Amino acid sequence: MKTIAFALAALAPAQAMAQQTGELVSFIACPVYRDTDSGRKSGCWLADDVTSGSRYDVSQSPYKPDWSFEVLVEGRISAEAPTACGGTVLGPVRTSRLTTPCTRHILPAEEFKGRKYVLPRRNNDPLGAPRPVATGPFTDRTFTTYFEFGRDFIIYQYDDWLLDQAANWIRQARPKKLVVTGFAATDPVEISGRTLAEPAALAEDRAEVIARSLRRLVPGIPVETAWQTGAKPVAEPEADGLPAQSQRRAEIRALF
Amino acid sequence: MTTSPMTPQPNPRPIRLARRLALAGTVALAGAAISVGARSPAPRPDPWWQAGEGRAFPEQIDYPNKEGSLRTLLAGAPLKTRGHPFFEPLGSNGRACVTCHQPADSMSLSAASAQRQWERTGGKDPLFAAIDGSNCPTLPQDRRESHSLLLDKGLFRIERPWPVKQFNGEPAMPDFTIEVVRDPTGCNSGQYGPAAGRISVYRRPRPVANMKYLLATGFPFDPKQGHALPLDPDDGKMQSGNLMSDNRAGNLRIQMEDAAAGHLQMAGKLTPAQISQIRDFELRIYSAQQADRFGQDVSALGAEGGPKKLRDSQPGALGSIGKPVWSEYAAWEKIAPEEASRLTPAQLAFRQSVARGARVFREKTFLIFDSAGITTQVGFGNPVRNSCVFCHNMSQMGNDVAPGQVDLGTTTLPFADPRSDLPLFRITCLKAPHPYYGRVIYTYDPGFALTSGKCADVGKITLQSLRGLSARAPYFSNGLARDLRGIVDYYERRYSIGYTEQEKQDLVNLMSVL
Repeated sequence: MKTIAFALAALAPAQAMAQQTGELVSFIACPVYRDTDSGRKSGCWLADDVTSGSRYDVSQSPYKPDWSFEVLVEGRISAEAPTACGGTVLGPVRTSRLTTPCTRHILPAEEFKGRKYVLPRRNNDPLGAPRPVATGPFTDRTFTTYFEFGRDFIIYQYDDWLLDQAANWIRQARPKKLVVTGFAATDPVEISGRTLAEPAALAEDRAEVIARSLRRLVPGIPVETAWQTGAKPVAEPEADGLPAQSQRRAEIRALF
Repeated sequence: MTTSPMTPQPNPRPIRLARRLALAGTVALAGAAISVGARSPAPRPDPWWQAGEGRAFPEQIDYPNKEGSLRTLLAGAPLKTRGHPFFEPLGSNGRACVTCHQPADSMSLSAASAQRQWERTGGKDPLFAAIDGSNCPTLPQDRRESHSLLLDKGLFRIERPWPVKQFNGEPAMPDFTIEVVRDPTGCNSGQYGPAAGRISVYRRPRPVANMKYLLATGFPFDPKQGHALPLDPDDGKMQSGNLMSDNRAGNLRIQMEDAAAGHLQMAGKLTPAQISQIRDFELRIYSAQQADRFGQDVSALGAEGGPKKLRDSQPGALGSIGKPVWSEYAAWEKIAPEEASRLTPAQLAFRQSVARGARVFREKTFLIFDSAGITTQVGFGNPVRNSCVFCHNMSQMGNDVAPGQVDLGTTTLPFADPRSDLPLFRITCLKAPHPYYGRVIYTYDPGFALTSGKCADVGKITLQSLRGLSARAPYFSNGLARDLRGIVDYYERRYSIGYTEQEKQDLVNLMSVL
């Protein structure tokens, strides 16, 4: 077993070399969990692109797979060596859970140690901790949050942080109103021989989900909603340079 | 002021009669004391708090249990309970809040206390009121078997409306249907049950102590449900979501009104003054184990067990970024030789075991899988490797800093242990199937789904405090674990953790001193 594992690990850099660092990949796969144990949350997530035969390390997605369902993988080839988990590292990367069932597959750690958990950058401070002081003059400003493919859920240590940043500024700037626009990537795309498109109703759902939280975070400021289908990619830093991630978004416009 | 308990004496049911009998009992006891002379110990107060008895609540009170003794502190001054709405019967059945939230049971109620009251009163105590202290009001109330769930498992009948009402009282259109598969109590058919709009589930009473921790909000979001915390309709502050097992009440006022109308069968409404008095009392009560099974103080030798630490600490801190959960016992990892020499080998070994248990609790990781609220949409993935402290993460208390609605499988098949004494429901999801259970789910208690109306929430039960456990067996919302070892054994079955026998005992010993 160890021999096979080492052989796979040795192959991985060759695959990575064949692909340019930063190259965008997307595919659908059944995820594989590698039970590395370097403490809490240290397990690895792997996904095999059946088209290329490549195994990728997708562990660094802010929303991780469920071993019972397919995932849509969207990521960029990282320069990181494949030593942690045993696959070409994708980073940044996203793994959206689809509804197609998968056979569960769990690998032992073998020679891989995984990654020790570290708090991500997008991590909210406790409520009692002081938030940054916003400086005026305050003018119209837009904040953006992002979603998993096909879902409207506010993702822990991603969206909640983005929303907290927005709410902190809004609380101090006191705009006249907020307009939340939900977007859905409704234009079909071909991935792994499958046609994927988000439902149009998801755009409204995303707007309402964000609006509901804003009404709780900044009570007293009117919140309106709008929605838009056929979302196009935008260059926003918190989408981490992943065009598909930037399509699945909600924009919060603070208007004075 | 400190008081200690005594051997229980019978408490008949009618309140006025109870007071007369209590007076008579006092006279009789006094007579007995005279007859046996001065060597007899002074009479000590009954551990059972009868509704309306008018006893003063001291600033500190200790009660023994089989793991040592529990201490309850009342911050501030002693309380005159005469006329206090927590202690007076407010409804038609003679109960008060204290009836089911007993100080000796860490402000909850143990099955052992229920059994003792049954024996003492022949089942006439208001505790056994037909409304929810029996398996169903339609059963003959003078028979023990009609109260078997309370007597054997410490369970009260909780009636939930169908279709569901949300935490804010607003009706919700559920995305599932519910059918009764089995109805051993008879309280989910006929005039009861989903068809009659009245679903009966059976749950343990949650402790009314250490409340500032249960009300604390550590972060502005509920990561399990994916939204900002809801706002309290009374004061506009964010709500913790940690009060009720199904999160049906977001603040103490709503909880009190729910309990008064249901458990106390109060015809009218609580007045603002009564609500204020109850809230004030509940925010002053702290309860935790103070002595271990050897009678040794759990706040000795550098440890910080007991309720004083709870009373004096700030609530809502996440253990992973602050004071680690159960680090109160870290000093027992290395007891100095001169101090160790003053302990018996068994006492020393026990303290070392408690300290190891705290580390096992925090550091022994295992794969958590198929547990909605943990492994679903939050982003952790399914499975995720972590330890007990992943969810029991609040410093000093071990409840969840975030709203704690998670599905450990304790009420839902196939993870729940087989139960012939509880009703079994069949849930059919009308939209997306549940990610782990599929479209059709069999459950003894849908839990949070009876508040949210979502099939994705079936089986979710709010995590609770781990304090005062030794005083309030059995455990889990449906009493499936009859003792502390039963808790560990359930988790071992559920997640195949691989605890060694030593680790299991260390966890049991840890929990026994919380």
